[in-house]
Amino acid sequence: MHRSDDGPDGRPVSVTGGRNPEAGIVFDAVGKSFAATRGATPISAIKDVSLTIGAEQFVAVLGPSGCGKTTLLRLADGLIQPDAGSIRIFGNPPQPGPDIGFVFQSFRLIPWATVAQNVEFGLMDLDLTKAERADRVAQNIDLVGLSRAADAYPATLSGGMRQRVALARALAPDPRVLLMDEPFASIDAQTRELMQGELMRIWAQRKSTVMFVTHSVDEAILLADQIVLLAPRPGRVVEVVNVDLERPRWTFDARAEPRFMELRRHLAEQMRKLVLADPSSEFFGRDFVPH
Amino acid sequence: MILVFRLGFLAFLLLLWALAAQQMGGNVVPSPKATYLAAGRMLGEGRLIRALGDSLTVFLSGYALAIAVGVPMGILMGGFRVLGKTLEVYVYALAATPRVAFIPLIIVMLGLGVEAKMFIVFLGALMPVLINTYAGVLAADDELIEMAQSVGAGRMRVFRRIVLPGAVPFVIVGMRLGATIGLINTVVAELYTSVKGLGGLLAIYGNTFRMAEYFVVVLMLSLIGVVVTESLRYLEQRASRWRIVK
Repeated sequence: MHRSDDGPDGRPVSVTGGRNPEAGIVFDAVGKSFAATRGATPISAIKDVSLTIGAEQFVAVLGPSGCGKTTLLRLADGLIQPDAGSIRIFGNPPQPGPDIGFVFQSFRLIPWATVAQNVEFGLMDLDLTKAERADRVAQNIDLVGLSRAADAYPATLSGGMRQRVALARALAPDPRVLLMDEPFASIDAQTRELMQGELMRIWAQRKSTVMFVTHSVDEAILLADQIVLLAPRPGRVVEVVNVDLERPRWTFDARAEPRFMELRRHLAEQMRKLVLADPSSEFFGRDFVPH
Repeated sequence: MILVFRLGFLAFLLLLWALAAQQMGGNVVPSPKATYLAAGRMLGEGRLIRALGDSLTVFLSGYALAIAVGVPMGILMGGFRVLGKTLEVYVYALAATPRVAFIPLIIVMLGLGVEAKMFIVFLGALMPVLINTYAGVLAADDELIEMAQSVGAGRMRVFRRIVLPGAVPFVIVGMRLGATIGLINTVVAELYTSVKGLGGLLAIYGNTFRMAEYFVVVLMLSLIGVVVTESLRYLEQRASRWRIVK
């Protein structure tokens, strides 16, 4: 569908939704519904979501399950189209391709391709010579510290290593935008902490605009400049919190900072409230905080 | 190690065979030695080799044709959902019909020669190849497809780079099943149409109670079966090396 600067009904798009070069990702009153089965009444996954992620900002989208976090990312990549509102990536409608990198929770590596071939897959849509291509692959494998495993198949790698490959694949085309869908959720706790540090190191090197979805309060505070808190069913923005902790945060124990604990307490409390108020949650209506 | 066990089991089978020959007499079950001698005679006459050549010609050409038709058709049916949905009912119906039922019709249409035999083999081997290829294309990993789309791949690229390679193991399984059925149908065809090849020898020796020669032919058929399925198994392992966790 062709989109001009004007909204679908001819009205001008609001200030946040316009061609603001400083805004990396803009959601303007976005809504999206899905039908569980064909013919069923569509259920609203996200409703009236507006948010702006500045260029080269790292924003964490935090929320309990069922708040449409993955839907937001798929919309931002242009894999699906919104029912209402509009999305802009650096002023343009989202288009899947080398400008937007996507890191999935389930890694999604091609099992019959080696590490190097998987990373090269991310370069598919770029016009590169063979030598440039090989160079990019080697560079990005090196960036995630997997040079020794370049010819290995994914089945032989650990979860952490697989996610490194997926990260290298997403970074290989040098995207302006990086979308990450709970990338460390299926990795064991210790590896997760190390991977968070790695991600921060890489992001400091390759500044891109990051939209990072997570349901971990700690992870959101550790990584992000800004946290967007979503409520579930339908997903909607409740609060936007700025994380005013100094960077780099992986060089010291940021968790021990009073400001970290303050943010943590606030966000954890909010998350708990959202879950307890969600009729679809098994914790609905329960209150186990002593008064 | 497994080879030692296999050879041990072979020795056990030979022992059973020798015992059976002793109990029932050489006219019903020939002894291993008599069979061995018969094999030598038949090889000397050139009769066995000629029959083997005839059978292999029928089997391999019918089987090759089944792959040449079954694989592309399975891919098309999987790639174009409307086509697949339309045809699958008929494919399954045909697969469930005993193919022997078509033999009289095939004889009326194609006669008793090589063409008829090839067609009987083709018809038997086609279904497993086609159905497995189709299933392989349909079994494509949706998560990998979405990943490829996010990288910027269009429909054709997704199909070529994700769907088709993912279907390869299914295709090879279909080929292995097809080879077994194709081999059975080779013998069936040789028994029902003009008596030729290994199936023909089976009929001749069986009807004249020359059990030693008859056993040679049976063993020859098993040998072909082993060679064909083992080479396909090898191919399968080569094609799915990535599955093996070192």
